[in-house]
Amino acid sequence: MRWALHFGDCGGDLTLQIYQVSELTRIIKGILEEEPRLLGLAVEGELSNFKHHSSGHMYFSLKDQKSVVNCVMFARQNYGLDFTPQDGMHVVCLGQIGVYEKRGGYQLYVSQMLEAGEGALQRAFEELKEKLRKEGLFDAARKRSLPFMPQCVGVVTSPTGAAIRDIISVLTRRHPGIRIVLAPALVQGDGAPQSIVDALGTIDSWGAADVIIVGRGGGSLEELWAFNDERVARAIYSCSVPVVSAVGHETDFTIADFVADQRAPTPSAAAELVVPDHRQLMQRLKDISLRIQVIMDQRIQSRLEHVNSLSKRRALQLPQDQVNQRYQRLDELGRRLEMGQRQLKTATDHRLEKVAARLNSLSPLATLSRGYAICHDQTGAIIAKVAQMSDVDEFWIQFSDGKTKARKFS
Amino acid sequence: MSFEDAYTKLEGIVELLETGEMTLERSLALFEEGVALVRHCRCLLDTAEKRVEMILKEDEQITIKDFSVEDKGAASL
Repeated sequence: MRWALHFGDCGGDLTLQIYQVSELTRIIKGILEEEPRLLGLAVEGELSNFKHHSSGHMYFSLKDQKSVVNCVMFARQNYGLDFTPQDGMHVVCLGQIGVYEKRGGYQLYVSQMLEAGEGALQRAFEELKEKLRKEGLFDAARKRSLPFMPQCVGVVTSPTGAAIRDIISVLTRRHPGIRIVLAPALVQGDGAPQSIVDALGTIDSWGAADVIIVGRGGGSLEELWAFNDERVARAIYSCSVPVVSAVGHETDFTIADFVADQRAPTPSAAAELVVPDHRQLMQRLKDISLRIQVIMDQRIQSRLEHVNSLSKRRALQLPQDQVNQRYQRLDELGRRLEMGQRQLKTATDHRLEKVAARLNSLSPLATLSRGYAICHDQTGAIIAKVAQMSDVDEFWIQFSDGKTKARKFS
Repeated sequence: MSFEDAYTKLEGIVELLETGEMTLERSLALFEEGVALVRHCRCLLDTAEKRVEMILKEDEQITIKDFSVEDKGAASL
Protein backbone atom coordinates (compact mmCIF):
# COMPACT_ATOMS: atom_id res chain seq x y z
CA MET A 1 0.00 0.00 0.00
CA ARG A 2 1.53 3.29 -1.10
CA TRP A 3 -0.83 6.01 -0.33
CA ALA A 4 -4.41 6.68 0.48
CA LEU A 5 -6.86 8.81 -1.44
CA HIS A 6 -8.93 11.24 0.50
CA PHE A 7 -12.31 12.33 -0.65
CA GLY A 8 -12.89 15.18 1.68
CA ASP A 9 -15.26 17.11 -0.51
CA CYS A 10 -17.95 14.46 -0.78
CA GLY A 11 -19.68 15.05 2.47
CA GLY A 12 -17.70 12.62 4.56
CA ASP A 13 -14.33 11.19 4.99
CA LEU A 14 -13.78 8.27 2.66
CA THR A 15 -10.44 6.55 2.57
CA LEU A 16 -9.76 3.91 -0.13
CA GLN A 17 -6.88 1.55 0.26
CA ILE A 18 -5.06 1.09 -3.03
CA TYR A 19 -3.61 -2.36 -3.54
CA GLN A 20 -1.12 -3.71 -5.93
CA VAL A 21 -2.50 -6.44 -8.16
CA SER A 22 -0.36 -9.10 -6.56
CA GLU A 23 -1.51 -7.99 -3.10
CA LEU A 24 -5.11 -8.33 -4.22
CA THR A 25 -4.43 -11.75 -5.65
CA ARG A 26 -2.78 -12.82 -2.42
CA ILE A 27 -5.85 -11.76 -0.42
CA ILE A 28 -8.12 -13.69 -2.74
CA LYS A 29 -5.79 -16.68 -2.59
CA GLY A 30 -5.83 -16.58 1.17
CA ILE A 31 -9.61 -16.52 1.27
CA LEU A 32 -10.13 -19.25 -1.29
CA GLU A 33 -7.42 -21.59 -0.16
CA GLU A 34 -8.38 -21.48 3.46
CA GLU A 35 -12.13 -21.71 3.03
CA PRO A 36 -13.00 -25.09 4.54
CA ARG A 37 -15.73 -25.78 2.00
CA LEU A 38 -13.25 -25.56 -0.81
CA LEU A 39 -10.84 -28.11 0.63
CA GLY A 40 -11.43 -31.81 0.09
CA LEU A 41 -13.95 -30.99 -2.64
CA ALA A 42 -15.84 -33.40 -4.85
CA VAL A 43 -17.23 -31.78 -7.97
CA GLU A 44 -19.36 -33.37 -10.65
CA GLY A 45 -19.51 -32.07 -14.21
CA GLU A 46 -18.92 -32.65 -17.88
CA LEU A 47 -15.39 -32.70 -19.28
CA SER A 48 -14.51 -30.20 -21.98
CA ASN A 49 -11.41 -28.78 -23.59
CA PHE A 50 -9.48 -31.76 -22.39
CA LYS A 51 -5.76 -31.70 -23.15
CA HIS A 52 -3.20 -34.25 -22.10
CA HIS A 53 0.17 -32.52 -22.34
CA SER A 54 3.37 -34.26 -23.26
CA SER A 55 4.51 -33.29 -19.79
CA GLY A 56 1.90 -35.73 -18.50
CA HIS A 57 -0.25 -33.05 -16.93
CA MET A 58 -3.93 -32.87 -17.82
CA TYR A 59 -5.70 -29.56 -18.35
CA PHE A 60 -9.46 -29.39 -18.80
CA SER A 61 -12.68 -27.70 -17.76
CA LEU A 62 -15.58 -29.08 -15.82
CA LYS A 63 -18.89 -27.59 -16.75
CA ASP A 64 -22.60 -27.80 -16.19
CA GLN A 65 -25.46 -25.87 -17.79
CA LYS A 66 -24.63 -22.61 -16.06
CA SER A 67 -21.00 -22.50 -15.20
CA VAL A 68 -17.49 -23.78 -15.75
CA VAL A 69 -14.34 -24.28 -13.69
CA ASN A 70 -10.84 -24.75 -15.03
CA CYS A 71 -8.99 -27.80 -13.76
CA VAL A 72 -5.59 -29.32 -13.74
CA MET A 73 -4.62 -32.86 -12.86
CA PHE A 74 -0.88 -33.29 -12.61
CA ALA A 75 0.96 -36.27 -13.97
CA ARG A 76 1.64 -37.66 -10.53
CA GLN A 77 -2.08 -37.79 -9.77
CA ASN A 78 -3.35 -38.88 -13.16
CA TYR A 79 -0.99 -41.72 -14.06
CA GLY A 80 -3.12 -44.17 -12.08
CA LEU A 81 -6.39 -43.37 -13.90
CA ASP A 82 -8.11 -46.53 -15.08
CA PHE A 83 -9.91 -44.84 -17.95
CA THR A 84 -9.17 -42.30 -20.67
CA PRO A 85 -10.92 -39.01 -20.03
CA GLN A 86 -12.65 -37.53 -23.03
CA ASP A 87 -14.67 -34.43 -23.76
CA GLY A 88 -18.31 -35.00 -23.01
CA MET A 89 -17.77 -37.56 -20.25
CA HIS A 90 -19.49 -37.04 -16.93
CA VAL A 91 -17.01 -37.32 -14.08
CA VAL A 92 -16.54 -36.60 -10.41
CA CYS A 93 -13.29 -34.82 -9.51
CA LEU A 94 -11.80 -34.76 -6.01
CA GLY A 95 -9.39 -32.02 -5.10
CA GLN A 96 -9.14 -28.45 -3.89
CA ILE A 97 -9.36 -24.92 -5.15
CA GLY A 98 -6.15 -23.01 -5.69
CA VAL A 99 -5.46 -19.60 -7.03
CA TYR A 100 -3.01 -19.48 -9.88
CA GLU A 101 -1.46 -16.11 -9.20
CA LYS A 102 0.32 -15.68 -12.47
CA ARG A 103 -2.93 -15.71 -14.44
CA GLY A 104 -5.17 -14.33 -11.75
CA GLY A 105 -7.61 -17.16 -11.85
CA TYR A 106 -8.74 -19.96 -9.65
CA GLN A 107 -8.51 -23.60 -10.57
CA LEU A 108 -9.56 -26.95 -9.31
CA TYR A 109 -6.45 -29.01 -8.58
CA VAL A 110 -7.69 -32.54 -9.14
CA SER A 111 -6.21 -35.40 -7.14
CA GLN A 112 -8.65 -38.11 -8.23
CA MET A 113 -11.10 -38.48 -11.10
CA LEU A 114 -13.94 -40.99 -11.32
CA GLU A 115 -16.58 -41.65 -13.90
CA ALA A 116 -20.01 -40.57 -12.73
CA GLY A 117 -22.58 -43.33 -12.21
CA GLU A 118 -24.18 -44.38 -15.45
CA GLY A 119 -21.20 -43.37 -17.48
CA ALA A 120 -19.11 -46.12 -15.91
CA LEU A 121 -21.80 -48.73 -16.37
CA GLN A 122 -22.31 -47.74 -19.97
CA ARG A 123 -18.61 -47.94 -20.73
CA ALA A 124 -18.26 -51.35 -19.13
CA PHE A 125 -21.22 -52.52 -21.22
CA GLU A 126 -19.70 -51.25 -24.47
CA GLU A 127 -16.33 -52.83 -23.70
CA LEU A 128 -17.79 -56.24 -22.89
CA LYS A 129 -20.02 -56.08 -25.92
CA GLU A 130 -17.04 -55.37 -28.16
CA LYS A 131 -14.95 -58.09 -26.54
CA LEU A 132 -17.59 -60.78 -26.98
CA ARG A 133 -18.40 -59.64 -30.48
CA LYS A 134 -14.77 -60.04 -31.45
CA GLU A 135 -14.79 -63.54 -30.04
CA GLY A 136 -17.71 -64.37 -32.30
CA LEU A 137 -20.39 -64.91 -29.68
CA PHE A 138 -22.85 -62.72 -31.59
CA ASP A 139 -22.20 -64.19 -35.05
CA ALA A 140 -25.35 -64.56 -37.14
CA ALA A 141 -23.96 -67.71 -38.72
CA ARG A 142 -23.97 -69.64 -35.49
CA LYS A 143 -27.49 -68.66 -34.47
CA ARG A 144 -29.64 -71.77 -34.46
CA SER A 145 -33.18 -71.79 -35.78
CA LEU A 146 -35.97 -72.59 -33.34
CA PRO A 147 -37.68 -76.00 -33.64
CA PHE A 148 -41.08 -75.70 -35.33
CA MET A 149 -43.04 -77.60 -32.72
CA PRO A 150 -41.08 -78.24 -29.52
CA GLN A 151 -42.44 -80.90 -27.18
CA CYS A 152 -40.72 -79.41 -24.14
CA VAL A 153 -39.88 -75.78 -23.46
CA GLY A 154 -37.28 -74.97 -20.78
CA VAL A 155 -37.61 -71.66 -18.95
CA VAL A 156 -34.98 -69.91 -16.84
CA THR A 157 -36.52 -67.14 -14.77
CA SER A 158 -37.82 -66.30 -11.33
CA PRO A 159 -40.44 -68.78 -10.01
CA THR A 160 -42.45 -65.83 -8.65
CA GLY A 161 -43.25 -62.82 -10.76
CA ALA A 162 -45.11 -62.07 -13.92
CA ALA A 163 -42.64 -63.54 -16.41
CA ILE A 164 -43.24 -67.24 -15.70
CA ARG A 165 -46.98 -66.65 -15.36
CA ASP A 166 -47.18 -64.97 -18.75
CA ILE A 167 -44.99 -67.61 -20.42
CA ILE A 168 -47.12 -70.48 -19.09
CA SER A 169 -50.31 -68.70 -20.10
CA VAL A 170 -49.23 -67.96 -23.67
CA LEU A 171 -47.60 -71.35 -24.26
CA THR A 172 -50.60 -73.37 -23.09
CA ARG A 173 -53.01 -71.21 -25.02
CA ARG A 174 -51.12 -71.76 -28.24
CA HIS A 175 -50.25 -75.42 -27.71
CA PRO A 176 -52.35 -77.15 -25.05
CA GLY A 177 -50.17 -80.27 -25.02
CA ILE A 178 -46.89 -78.50 -24.29
CA ARG A 179 -44.51 -79.52 -21.52
CA ILE A 180 -42.96 -76.60 -19.64
CA VAL A 181 -40.01 -77.05 -17.32
CA LEU A 182 -38.86 -74.15 -15.16
CA ALA A 183 -35.32 -73.90 -13.82
CA PRO A 184 -35.73 -71.21 -11.15
CA ALA A 185 -33.17 -68.43 -10.82
CA LEU A 186 -32.61 -65.05 -9.22
CA VAL A 187 -33.07 -62.39 -11.87
CA GLN A 188 -31.63 -59.35 -10.12
CA GLY A 189 -29.03 -58.54 -7.50
CA ASP A 190 -25.48 -59.72 -6.99
CA GLY A 191 -26.35 -63.38 -6.89
CA ALA A 192 -28.33 -63.29 -10.12
CA PRO A 193 -25.66 -63.94 -12.74
CA GLN A 194 -24.37 -67.09 -11.07
CA SER A 195 -27.91 -68.23 -10.35
CA ILE A 196 -28.87 -67.83 -14.02
CA VAL A 197 -25.73 -69.65 -15.13
CA ASP A 198 -26.48 -72.55 -12.77
CA ALA A 199 -30.10 -72.80 -13.90
CA LEU A 200 -29.08 -72.82 -17.57
CA GLY A 201 -26.54 -75.52 -16.80
CA THR A 202 -29.10 -77.65 -14.98
CA ILE A 203 -31.69 -77.56 -17.73
CA ASP A 204 -29.14 -78.03 -20.48
CA SER A 205 -27.48 -81.01 -18.85
CA TRP A 206 -30.93 -82.56 -18.19
CA GLY A 207 -31.25 -82.50 -21.95
CA ALA A 208 -34.98 -82.95 -22.63
CA ALA A 209 -35.85 -79.36 -23.46
CA ASP A 210 -36.08 -78.59 -27.18
CA VAL A 211 -35.70 -74.86 -26.67
CA ILE A 212 -34.96 -72.56 -23.72
CA ILE A 213 -36.39 -69.17 -22.80
CA VAL A 214 -34.26 -67.10 -20.43
CA GLY A 215 -35.42 -63.78 -19.09
CA ARG A 216 -37.46 -61.68 -16.71
CA GLY A 217 -40.11 -58.98 -16.61
CA GLY A 218 -39.42 -55.30 -17.11
CA GLY A 219 -37.28 -53.24 -14.76
CA SER A 220 -34.71 -50.50 -14.40
CA LEU A 221 -31.23 -50.64 -15.90
CA GLU A 222 -29.79 -51.82 -12.58
CA GLU A 223 -32.42 -54.52 -12.23
CA LEU A 224 -31.71 -55.94 -15.70
CA TRP A 225 -27.96 -55.76 -15.21
CA ALA A 226 -27.48 -59.47 -14.53
CA PHE A 227 -28.27 -60.08 -18.22
CA ASN A 228 -25.24 -57.98 -19.18
CA ASP A 229 -22.94 -60.25 -17.21
CA GLU A 230 -20.17 -62.03 -19.10
CA ARG A 231 -20.84 -65.34 -17.34
CA VAL A 232 -24.49 -65.30 -18.41
CA ALA A 233 -23.50 -64.52 -22.00
CA ARG A 234 -21.07 -67.45 -22.14
CA ALA A 235 -23.58 -69.80 -20.53
CA ILE A 236 -26.19 -68.90 -23.16
CA TYR A 237 -23.64 -69.38 -25.92
CA SER A 238 -22.69 -72.83 -24.77
CA CYS A 239 -26.25 -74.16 -24.47
CA SER A 240 -26.82 -77.17 -26.68
CA VAL A 241 -30.33 -76.10 -27.71
CA PRO A 242 -31.56 -72.78 -29.12
CA VAL A 243 -32.05 -70.02 -26.55
CA VAL A 244 -34.53 -67.15 -26.73
CA SER A 245 -33.76 -64.12 -24.56
CA ALA A 246 -36.68 -62.25 -23.06
CA VAL A 247 -35.43 -59.48 -20.84
CA GLY A 248 -38.62 -57.44 -20.60
CA HIS A 249 -37.43 -54.27 -22.27
CA GLU A 250 -38.94 -52.96 -25.47
CA THR A 251 -36.02 -51.01 -26.86
CA ASP A 252 -32.81 -51.68 -24.97
CA PHE A 253 -30.74 -54.73 -25.74
CA THR A 254 -28.78 -56.55 -23.07
CA ILE A 255 -25.71 -58.64 -23.86
CA ALA A 256 -27.83 -61.74 -23.37
CA ASP A 257 -30.02 -60.48 -26.24
CA PHE A 258 -27.02 -60.32 -28.55
CA VAL A 259 -25.78 -63.81 -27.72
CA ALA A 260 -29.15 -65.56 -27.78
CA ASP A 261 -30.34 -67.34 -30.92
CA GLN A 262 -33.43 -65.12 -30.92
CA ARG A 263 -34.41 -62.07 -28.93
CA ALA A 264 -37.90 -61.22 -27.72
CA PRO A 265 -38.86 -57.92 -26.11
CA THR A 266 -40.97 -59.59 -23.42
CA PRO A 267 -41.53 -63.05 -21.91
CA SER A 268 -44.96 -63.28 -23.61
CA ALA A 269 -43.43 -62.47 -26.99
CA ALA A 270 -40.83 -65.19 -26.41
CA ALA A 271 -43.58 -67.73 -25.77
CA GLU A 272 -45.22 -66.77 -29.05
CA LEU A 273 -41.96 -67.19 -30.93
CA VAL A 274 -41.28 -70.59 -29.53
CA VAL A 275 -44.49 -72.45 -30.30
CA PRO A 276 -46.97 -72.27 -33.22
CA ASP A 277 -50.62 -71.52 -32.55
CA HIS A 278 -52.51 -74.81 -32.81
CA ARG A 279 -55.70 -73.09 -33.93
CA GLN A 280 -53.91 -71.61 -36.91
CA LEU A 281 -52.47 -75.00 -37.74
CA MET A 282 -55.94 -76.60 -37.50
CA GLN A 283 -57.30 -74.00 -39.87
CA ARG A 284 -54.54 -74.69 -42.36
CA LEU A 285 -55.29 -78.42 -42.17
CA LYS A 286 -58.95 -77.71 -42.85
CA ASP A 287 -58.11 -75.54 -45.84
CA ILE A 288 -55.90 -78.23 -47.32
CA SER A 289 -58.53 -80.91 -46.71
CA LEU A 290 -61.09 -78.83 -48.52
CA ARG A 291 -58.81 -78.28 -51.45
CA ILE A 292 -58.01 -81.94 -52.00
CA GLN A 293 -61.66 -82.88 -51.69
CA VAL A 294 -62.65 -80.32 -54.29
CA ILE A 295 -59.95 -81.49 -56.65
CA MET A 296 -61.00 -85.12 -56.30
CA ASP A 297 -64.66 -84.30 -56.79
CA GLN A 298 -63.83 -82.49 -59.99
CA ARG A 299 -61.67 -85.30 -61.29
CA ILE A 300 -64.26 -87.97 -60.66
CA GLN A 301 -66.99 -85.79 -62.06
CA SER A 302 -65.13 -85.15 -65.27
CA ARG A 303 -64.31 -88.86 -65.59
CA LEU A 304 -67.96 -89.69 -65.12
CA GLU A 305 -68.96 -87.28 -67.85
CA HIS A 306 -66.33 -88.74 -70.10
CA VAL A 307 -67.60 -92.28 -69.61
CA ASN A 308 -71.17 -91.09 -70.11
CA SER A 309 -70.38 -89.39 -73.38
CA LEU A 310 -68.43 -92.40 -74.56
CA SER A 311 -71.33 -94.69 -73.92
CA LYS A 312 -73.63 -92.41 -75.92
CA ARG A 313 -71.63 -92.18 -79.13
CA ARG A 314 -73.06 -94.58 -81.65
CA ALA A 315 -69.91 -94.97 -83.64
CA LEU A 316 -67.99 -96.04 -80.63
CA GLN A 317 -70.61 -98.15 -78.97
CA LEU A 318 -68.66 -100.04 -76.45
CA PRO A 319 -69.91 -103.45 -75.51
CA GLN A 320 -72.23 -103.01 -72.58
CA ASP A 321 -69.88 -105.15 -70.57
CA GLN A 322 -67.03 -102.71 -70.88
CA VAL A 323 -69.26 -99.75 -70.07
CA ASN A 324 -70.52 -101.51 -66.98
CA GLN A 325 -67.00 -102.21 -65.89
CA ARG A 326 -66.09 -98.56 -66.18
CA TYR A 327 -69.12 -97.49 -64.14
CA GLN A 328 -68.27 -100.05 -61.55
CA ARG A 329 -64.74 -98.85 -61.25
CA LEU A 330 -65.99 -95.31 -60.86
CA ASP A 331 -68.30 -96.49 -58.09
CA GLU A 332 -65.39 -98.03 -56.27
CA LEU A 333 -63.28 -94.95 -56.67
CA GLY A 334 -66.25 -92.92 -55.53
CA ARG A 335 -66.56 -95.05 -52.42
CA ARG A 336 -62.91 -94.59 -51.58
CA LEU A 337 -63.36 -90.88 -52.08
CA GLU A 338 -66.36 -90.80 -49.81
CA MET A 339 -64.55 -92.73 -47.10
CA GLY A 340 -61.61 -90.37 -47.33
CA GLN A 341 -63.96 -87.42 -47.06
CA ARG A 342 -65.59 -88.84 -43.95
CA GLN A 343 -62.22 -89.38 -42.34
CA LEU A 344 -61.20 -85.87 -43.23
CA LYS A 345 -64.33 -84.52 -41.65
CA THR A 346 -63.63 -86.20 -38.30
CA ALA A 347 -59.98 -85.21 -38.46
CA THR A 348 -60.71 -81.56 -39.02
CA ASP A 349 -63.79 -81.20 -36.86
CA HIS A 350 -62.91 -78.66 -34.28
CA ARG A 351 -64.07 -79.30 -30.75
CA LEU A 352 -65.33 -75.75 -30.54
CA GLU A 353 -67.68 -76.22 -33.45
CA LYS A 354 -69.53 -78.95 -31.60
CA VAL A 355 -69.88 -76.82 -28.48
CA ALA A 356 -70.99 -73.87 -30.58
CA ALA A 357 -73.65 -76.03 -32.19
CA ARG A 358 -74.97 -77.07 -28.78
CA LEU A 359 -75.03 -73.47 -27.56
CA ASN A 360 -76.89 -72.49 -30.64
CA SER A 361 -79.61 -75.02 -30.02
CA LEU A 362 -80.18 -73.52 -26.60
CA SER A 363 -80.71 -69.97 -27.81
CA PRO A 364 -84.21 -68.43 -27.75
CA LEU A 365 -84.34 -68.26 -31.54
CA ALA A 366 -83.74 -71.97 -31.75
CA THR A 367 -86.55 -72.49 -29.24
CA LEU A 368 -88.91 -70.46 -31.39
CA SER A 369 -88.03 -72.51 -34.41
CA ARG A 370 -89.12 -75.60 -32.52
CA GLY A 371 -92.67 -74.20 -32.36
CA TYR A 372 -92.75 -72.19 -29.15
CA ALA A 373 -94.02 -68.62 -29.19
CA ILE A 374 -93.28 -65.60 -27.04
CA CYS A 375 -96.02 -63.19 -25.96
CA HIS A 376 -95.33 -59.58 -25.12
CA ASP A 377 -97.31 -56.42 -24.54
CA GLN A 378 -97.29 -53.02 -26.32
CA THR A 379 -94.13 -52.00 -24.54
CA GLY A 380 -92.27 -55.15 -25.38
CA ALA A 381 -92.39 -56.57 -21.86
CA ILE A 382 -92.68 -60.35 -21.96
CA ILE A 383 -95.90 -61.95 -20.76
CA ALA A 384 -94.93 -65.22 -19.19
CA LYS A 385 -97.89 -65.92 -16.94
CA VAL A 386 -101.64 -66.00 -17.27
CA ALA A 387 -101.81 -63.68 -14.24
CA GLN A 388 -100.11 -60.94 -16.28
CA MET A 389 -102.97 -61.04 -18.77
CA SER A 390 -105.50 -59.48 -16.40
CA ASP A 391 -104.79 -55.87 -17.42
CA VAL A 392 -103.94 -56.76 -20.96
CA ASP A 393 -106.38 -56.50 -23.83
CA GLU A 394 -104.27 -56.40 -26.96
CA PHE A 395 -100.89 -58.09 -27.14
CA TRP A 396 -98.30 -59.45 -29.57
CA ILE A 397 -97.32 -63.03 -30.32
CA GLN A 398 -93.75 -63.57 -31.58
CA PHE A 399 -93.19 -66.59 -33.81
CA SER A 400 -89.90 -67.72 -35.36
CA ASP A 401 -90.77 -65.95 -38.60
CA GLY A 402 -92.42 -62.76 -37.31
CA LYS A 403 -95.10 -61.47 -34.99
CA THR A 404 -98.77 -60.87 -35.05
CA LYS A 405 -101.25 -58.81 -32.98
CA ALA A 406 -103.80 -60.65 -30.92
CA ARG A 407 -106.74 -59.84 -28.67
CA LYS A 408 -107.76 -61.61 -25.55
CA PHE A 409 -111.14 -63.22 -25.27
CA SER A 410 -112.66 -61.59 -22.26
CA MET B 1 -43.12 -88.04 -38.66
CA SER B 2 -42.93 -84.52 -37.26
CA PHE B 3 -45.76 -82.08 -37.83
CA GLU B 4 -43.59 -79.94 -40.03
CA ASP B 5 -42.55 -82.84 -42.24
CA ALA B 6 -46.09 -84.17 -42.54
CA TYR B 7 -47.42 -80.74 -43.38
CA THR B 8 -44.77 -80.16 -46.03
CA LYS B 9 -45.59 -83.51 -47.61
CA LEU B 10 -49.27 -82.59 -47.55
CA GLU B 11 -48.61 -79.36 -49.40
CA GLY B 12 -46.65 -81.30 -51.98
CA ILE B 13 -49.59 -83.65 -52.54
CA VAL B 14 -51.99 -80.76 -53.06
CA GLU B 15 -49.64 -79.28 -55.63
CA LEU B 16 -49.46 -82.56 -57.51
CA LEU B 17 -53.22 -83.06 -57.45
CA GLU B 18 -53.88 -79.56 -58.68
CA THR B 19 -51.41 -79.47 -61.51
CA GLY B 20 -50.47 -83.04 -62.33
CA GLU B 21 -51.66 -85.04 -65.27
CA MET B 22 -52.38 -88.47 -63.94
CA THR B 23 -54.78 -91.35 -63.93
CA LEU B 24 -57.73 -91.30 -61.63
CA GLU B 25 -56.27 -94.17 -59.67
CA ARG B 26 -53.07 -92.33 -59.03
CA SER B 27 -54.88 -89.18 -57.96
CA LEU B 28 -57.03 -91.18 -55.60
CA ALA B 29 -53.95 -92.83 -54.13
CA LEU B 30 -52.46 -89.39 -53.53
CA PHE B 31 -55.71 -88.23 -52.03
CA GLU B 32 -55.74 -91.16 -49.59
CA GLU B 33 -52.16 -90.43 -48.63
CA GLY B 34 -53.22 -86.83 -47.99
CA VAL B 35 -56.05 -88.00 -45.78
CA ALA B 36 -53.64 -90.10 -43.75
CA LEU B 37 -51.30 -87.15 -43.34
CA VAL B 38 -54.11 -84.85 -42.20
CA ARG B 39 -55.13 -87.40 -39.59
CA HIS B 40 -51.54 -87.75 -38.43
CA CYS B 41 -51.18 -83.98 -38.09
CA ARG B 42 -54.40 -83.75 -36.15
CA CYS B 43 -53.16 -86.50 -33.86
CA LEU B 44 -49.95 -84.59 -33.20
CA LEU B 45 -51.90 -81.47 -32.35
CA ASP B 46 -54.04 -83.38 -29.91
CA THR B 47 -51.19 -84.74 -27.78
CA ALA B 48 -51.34 -85.11 -24.03
CA GLU B 49 -52.28 -82.66 -21.35
CA LYS B 50 -50.10 -79.69 -20.53
CA ARG B 51 -47.46 -80.27 -17.92
CA VAL B 52 -45.77 -77.53 -15.93
CA GLU B 53 -42.81 -78.64 -13.85
CA MET B 54 -39.80 -77.26 -12.01
CA ILE B 55 -36.29 -78.66 -12.19
CA LEU B 56 -33.81 -78.39 -9.33
CA LYS B 57 -30.25 -79.54 -8.91
CA GLU B 58 -28.98 -80.35 -5.43
CA ASP B 59 -25.52 -81.86 -5.04
CA GLU B 60 -25.40 -83.16 -8.61
CA GLN B 61 -28.85 -84.67 -8.11
CA ILE B 62 -31.57 -83.49 -10.48
CA THR B 63 -35.17 -83.56 -9.29
CA ILE B 64 -38.30 -82.58 -11.18
CA LYS B 65 -41.55 -81.76 -9.48
CA ASP B 66 -44.87 -80.21 -10.38
CA PHE B 67 -44.97 -76.45 -10.42
CA SER B 68 -47.84 -74.04 -10.10
CA VAL B 69 -47.61 -70.28 -10.27
CA GLU B 70 -48.99 -69.90 -6.77
CA ASP B 71 -46.19 -72.08 -5.41
CA LYS B 72 -44.55 -69.58 -3.07
CA GLY B 73 -42.46 -72.33 -1.51
CA ALA B 74 -40.17 -72.14 -4.51
CA ALA B 75 -39.24 -68.58 -3.60
CA SER B 76 -36.51 -69.66 -1.20
CA LEU B 77 -33.57 -70.02 -3.54
